Amino acid sequence: MVQVSDLRPGAARAQIRRLEERVAELESDLTELRRHQVRLAEIVDVVQELLVPLSGRDEAAAAEAIERFQRSL
Amino acid sequence: MRRVDDDGVSVLVGDDRPLDVCLDGRRIWTFWTRRDTDPVAPVDALARGPWPARRAVWPKPLRAHLNGTGRITVSDSVTGRELFDKTVTLGEGSGPIRVQNRRGVDLGIDKSGRLVPTFASRSDRDIEALLDATDAVLEALREAGVEPFIAYGTLLGAVREGAVLGHDSDADLGYVSSHTTPVDVALESYRIQRALAERGLRIARYSGASFKVMVSEGDVTRGLDVFGGFFDAGRLHLMGEINTPFEREWIYPLGTAELDGRPMPVPARPEKLLEAMYGPGWRVPDPAFKFTTSAHTIRAFDDWFRGTQPGIRYWDRHSHYAKRKPPRENPSQLGRKAAAVAERIGATEVLDVGAGRGRDAIWLARQGLRVIAYDYVPRALDLVAEQARAEGLDLEVRHLNLTDGRSVLAEGARLAQDSQPRVILARHVADATSSVGREALARFSSMALRAGGQLLTEFHPTYKTPPGAARVPDHTREEWMIGRPDPEVFAALLRKAGARGVRVVNRKPTTRPVVRVVGVWRGAGK
Repeated sequence: MVQVSDLRPGAARAQIRRLEERVAELESDLTELRRHQVRLAEIVDVVQELLVPLSGRDEAAAAEAIERFQRSL
Repeated sequence: MRRVDDDGVSVLVGDDRPLDVCLDGRRIWTFWTRRDTDPVAPVDALARGPWPARRAVWPKPLRAHLNGTGRITVSDSVTGRELFDKTVTLGEGSGPIRVQNRRGVDLGIDKSGRLVPTFASRSDRDIEALLDATDAVLEALREAGVEPFIAYGTLLGAVREGAVLGHDSDADLGYVSSHTTPVDVALESYRIQRALAERGLRIARYSGASFKVMVSEGDVTRGLDVFGGFFDAGRLHLMGEINTPFEREWIYPLGTAELDGRPMPVPARPEKLLEAMYGPGWRVPDPAFKFTTSAHTIRAFDDWFRGTQPGIRYWDRHSHYAKRKPPRENPSQLGRKAAAVAERIGATEVLDVGAGRGRDAIWLARQGLRVIAYDYVPRALDLVAEQARAEGLDLEVRHLNLTDGRSVLAEGARLAQDSQPRVILARHVADATSSVGREALARFSSMALRAGGQLLTEFHPTYKTPPGAARVPDHTREEWMIGRPDPEVFAALLRKAGARGVRVVNRKPTTRPVVRVVGVWRGAGK
């Protein structure tokens, strides 16, 4: 809907500027969300590979699991 | 035209066309007559014509080799028409011009402007060795549970010429995951890497969905790049360059194309993928082709998969000569401080995070401390490690990448298992890594210092603080700097990670401000 304020001189420019700012904000919001993908993958990988051996009482097995994991990085 | 001298190759330019520059009949460089050139004043009356004269300056890495005499030919890459063919003398050197490495392997400029060994100069046996390596990696990928195919330049060579492209310096492989979200694609990529590592392959990871498998052929080590991809909502995302509407049936089931007589797996409709990779002009040879990936695609791949080794190109390049040049004899002031703190708190182990060439690490080891020197480019520490071995010092070099959570958590867990008071030295690490890396440094410290100890850091902060004056922002930056952290924000990060005492001290600035931030962890029960 056209608002009265849109008819002022310079209104279009101001509106474009507002839209540009909004797009920049949305882009950075999107980046923030998408950045979680690889970080989540890292954490899940560590949990899957190391949680069980590290929560056991066998220190040698834990150390070996860590070493094996590090070899694959 | 046309002139070849110490500055470069001058040509009269009509359309933008790729030209091959050959030395004694071997291609050493390809440039585009407009894209890669700058206008020059005509050198003589004959050069005045309807077309402007332009010059392509020699690429820097090539320039160093251009000393002596050789036959230079310049010809149109597409039509093969010769534009220049003369014996010229360049530089101050005498004897023949040789563009070779120290082992005598012929080099040429690749599409990224690097000087690399070129296949064109290599024998059939070398090509065979590369194809063997490709087969081996394809087989390993298949065993890891994906269906790989040759991609990018390798696919182009197979489909267009049935051969490895003469100017290509590596082999590219791809696969398309059955998963549809980046997190699952990355997890799968980690799993594949693990399977390949179990087979004894050497791997360098580039991102959450791509890595390089290093295969040594004789005394040349080549990389086979493996790019992961996935389908989502009718689009193909293939790591590196591609984000485009695509049909699954255009990839799978895979077909076959011959590469120098060897059958290789290719997408069901290779032309569709090649068009996505190189545009509709992929059928016309263009050795100087540069990928122009849309900003939108780059942003998506950056967000989903990258940021796991910021700045590594700089340090990788740096390490090439760093590994031949010993570090300075004297330690940094922070290095000395680390030794003093270790003595005061009764720690016998110092962790040098971001050890660089190992200047502080070896000095600390010489003081009788046990030292672990960490870096994400540990190659730069080869020399110091060797020296330490010769001197019988207790210095261990280990890989640590602060921007890969897996690396930080695994090494942190290892250190936590071997709990003892420690000093962590991190000189110019906070400013050489991203905010993710800084958070990781704090977390790593909390894991490594469970039995107590100190983290000593120094970095260039965001602002200058002249004594008694207000803060003045300082935006100068060196190539290696990723961020200029705010000391107070960094200090807060350390407190959040369990540091009980945090001191921020402004150092006397030399060229740009330096701040020292020290975090103190107290052991359990203290």
